[in-house]
Amino acid sequence: MIELDIEEKTYHLNLGPQHPSTHGVLRVLLEMQGEYITKAEPVIGYGHRGHEHMAENRNYHQFLPNMGRVDYLHALAYNQGYCMAVEKLLGITVPERAEYLRVILSEFNRIASHLLWVGAYLLDLGAFTPILYCFDDRENILDLLDRITGSRLTYCFYRFGGVTKDLDDEFIAGSRAFIKRLRGRFKDYDNLVTKNVIFINRARGVGFISKEQCLLYGLTGPMVRGSGIPYDIRKSEPYSAYPAFDFEIPIGDTGDVMDRYLVRLREMGQSLRIIEQALDKLPNGPIMAEKVPKRVKPAESEVYQAVETARGEFGIYIVSQGDVKPYRIKLRVPSFGNLSVLPELAVDTLVADLVAILGSMDVVIPEIDR
Amino acid sequence: MLKEKLKKALAPLDLAQVADGDYAKTGYHLEVAARPEQMPAVAKAMRAQGCFLESLTAVDLRESFTLVYHFSNFHELCRTVVHASLAKEAEAPTISQIYPGADWYEREVYDLFGIRFAGHPNLKRILLPEDADFHPLLKDFGAEAAND
Amino acid sequence: MELLAQYLGTEVGRLIVGLIGVMALVAVNALFLIWMERKVSAHMQLRLGPMEVGWHGFIQTVCDALKLMGKELITPEEVDRPVYLLAPIVVFLPVFLVFLVVPFSSSIIIKDMNVGLLLILAFSTIAVLAILMAGWSSNNKYSVLGAIRSVAQNVAYEIPLLITVMSIVLTVGSFRLTDIVAAQTSYWFVLTQPLAFILYIVCATAETNRSPFDLPEAESELVAGFHTEYSGMRFAMFFLAEYTNMFIVSAVASVLFLGGWHGPLLPGLIWFLLKVYAIIFLMMWFRWTFPRVRFDQLISFAWKILIPLSFANLLITALVLKL
Repeated sequence: MIELDIEEKTYHLNLGPQHPSTHGVLRVLLEMQGEYITKAEPVIGYGHRGHEHMAENRNYHQFLPNMGRVDYLHALAYNQGYCMAVEKLLGITVPERAEYLRVILSEFNRIASHLLWVGAYLLDLGAFTPILYCFDDRENILDLLDRITGSRLTYCFYRFGGVTKDLDDEFIAGSRAFIKRLRGRFKDYDNLVTKNVIFINRARGVGFISKEQCLLYGLTGPMVRGSGIPYDIRKSEPYSAYPAFDFEIPIGDTGDVMDRYLVRLREMGQSLRIIEQALDKLPNGPIMAEKVPKRVKPAESEVYQAVETARGEFGIYIVSQGDVKPYRIKLRVPSFGNLSVLPELAVDTLVADLVAILGSMDVVIPEIDR
Repeated sequence: MLKEKLKKALAPLDLAQVADGDYAKTGYHLEVAARPEQMPAVAKAMRAQGCFLESLTAVDLRESFTLVYHFSNFHELCRTVVHASLAKEAEAPTISQIYPGADWYEREVYDLFGIRFAGHPNLKRILLPEDADFHPLLKDFGAEAAND
Repeated sequence: MELLAQYLGTEVGRLIVGLIGVMALVAVNALFLIWMERKVSAHMQLRLGPMEVGWHGFIQTVCDALKLMGKELITPEEVDRPVYLLAPIVVFLPVFLVFLVVPFSSSIIIKDMNVGLLLILAFSTIAVLAILMAGWSSNNKYSVLGAIRSVAQNVAYEIPLLITVMSIVLTVGSFRLTDIVAAQTSYWFVLTQPLAFILYIVCATAETNRSPFDLPEAESELVAGFHTEYSGMRFAMFFLAEYTNMFIVSAVASVLFLGGWHGPLLPGLIWFLLKVYAIIFLMMWFRWTFPRVRFDQLISFAWKILIPLSFANLLITALVLKL
């Protein structure tokens, strides 16, 4: 009798930190048995730049550009969150036209972020063409935003009390043309991607997130909306000019990867609706509040402001002790919580599925690392 | 009303303060002050009411720390902030067995402030390199380097 | 002079001339296909592709090849040296030898073997061995994963390929490729065996490790799969083998289904090449349209769908022939 002493051992595989599919510098330490994953541990911090420490050593104005570098894909929303928090501290009201401008630009930025996500996600799954179509559409948005803000990616356009520059007619005409064009393109995306049987097989039935997990891990954004929870800060805790617009919150039913993809796709359509309504109803008026102090020195207090970014809820917590520099700023970023659920989702999956699940979370590592 | 339900749920825990917040000025609906040892009970009560942990952080007040917990709810807006004053060198109990999402937040607080959480399953650094020997968000961090 | 002509008339002489011709063909084919792939992918992606060097970038591949030849051949320390160095050669040789039996036109065929088709199918499987050699000897987890996937994939897709080809052989009654072409003078087999054609194209795409079946080289999951640790000219050998393999499977497809060199007006060789490149274009079209399948879906697709279908096709063919 031959006694085979074979023990089933697991081996370690590193996904990253340099890897085409980890969006940014992320390392996922995998313990695998064959092609199946038994344990996955994300290792972060490769891009830690100390934004919160920088906040304590700069005055409020000097910290504004940092917000664009935290999540560079939806920088305007982070700008907006920070400006709103400081405006709350100072008790400034932003004029209506400025609020509308902020909404229009933030929604354009949201569409750009989602377009990039769709392209990059399909690239992870092995389809090389959609990313170029998405980038083609995104270029139009970047050109429009470049006209007004002067930047293509890391915006720093809002100021305490309003915005820096007003829209011009060319921007408005370009926006309307773009809205029409993108609505036509959604059909192309549906035919090429959404109805593709290989994509459906990769995305359906993979990466289920339950409502319980959403609660326990503090997930926000398309992660919870894909699982059927209609939580969107623009509707739950309305801010800026959002109450004036009529839009829906797309939600999924099962919480798998496909649902999150469809949520983001439909969100783009809803953002187009918001921009259209904002352009139609744009009020006249100043774009900057009247009495904005040159030296921002808020009273001793603290404030928490939440905004809905493309990835989820961005919360900024400012503690002021009456100085020109903030005493403490905490940046609550959506990707931090969203990534922390990965170890639970990764158990007993294939590496290919892990890539699909990780991509569907839409994490931006620089905002996790700050 | 969620705020009333939360106040009722927190009442038996004998907390230092459970008061309404000024939403327009601070963004809070409910402001709670507790001792760090009471945090697991507070977290259990919040979870029972269906609230999620929005954020967990700390503030260095030079003579002591303040742990700041933010809770919110998916279905009805009610932001609750819990301030817990912690002495320097003291340990705080972990709430990661109640909210698994707190695991990473507590690691971040340990990494940046040096505050230890008793009962945490994996308390190691998360943002800084694992062999770093400093805690950058402490108020006397830069001062030490300047005095060298 | 007379001796030379006499020598060239012999079998050995023909073989040598043929091999030289094949080497030239393989080189030119690879250069052309790489350029074609870049142009096709570019135009499908709203780009232009190479435009600088030569007319519409025609000489781009030559420049890239020259660059690759000048690159340093990095051999990692811990690799299994003899296997590592042999793998690129083993992947290339069988593909090269298969050209001996491919009928380019009624007169251009190096060796018209009566088991020509069998030779092609047999030699195509040696490429799998080479991939396993490359992946294993690289001493790299990513490479091993890529190699293992490739072996499983090739073995799984070999079976429906063979069975599909059998239906054609059954119809013609011979393995000789010239016989198969000759049997298609009145109509092409793609009209009587459309299912076999589709099955063959799917299996051929999987055999050549092309998208959507390119898991062994899955860039976004395994960095570069089995050829992660290869650089410079050795890396180029794998690519050369892949493109030559594409030519081979397309050549077999055109012989089996599209009537080989038959066609009005133009000489046989031109028709043959046109058909081959049309099928190659189809394979390129697949690559730039579809995402990648997952590994278990790939294997279950082969075993649960393709094999039953190919058996059904064989049975129906046999039935029809009997009647």
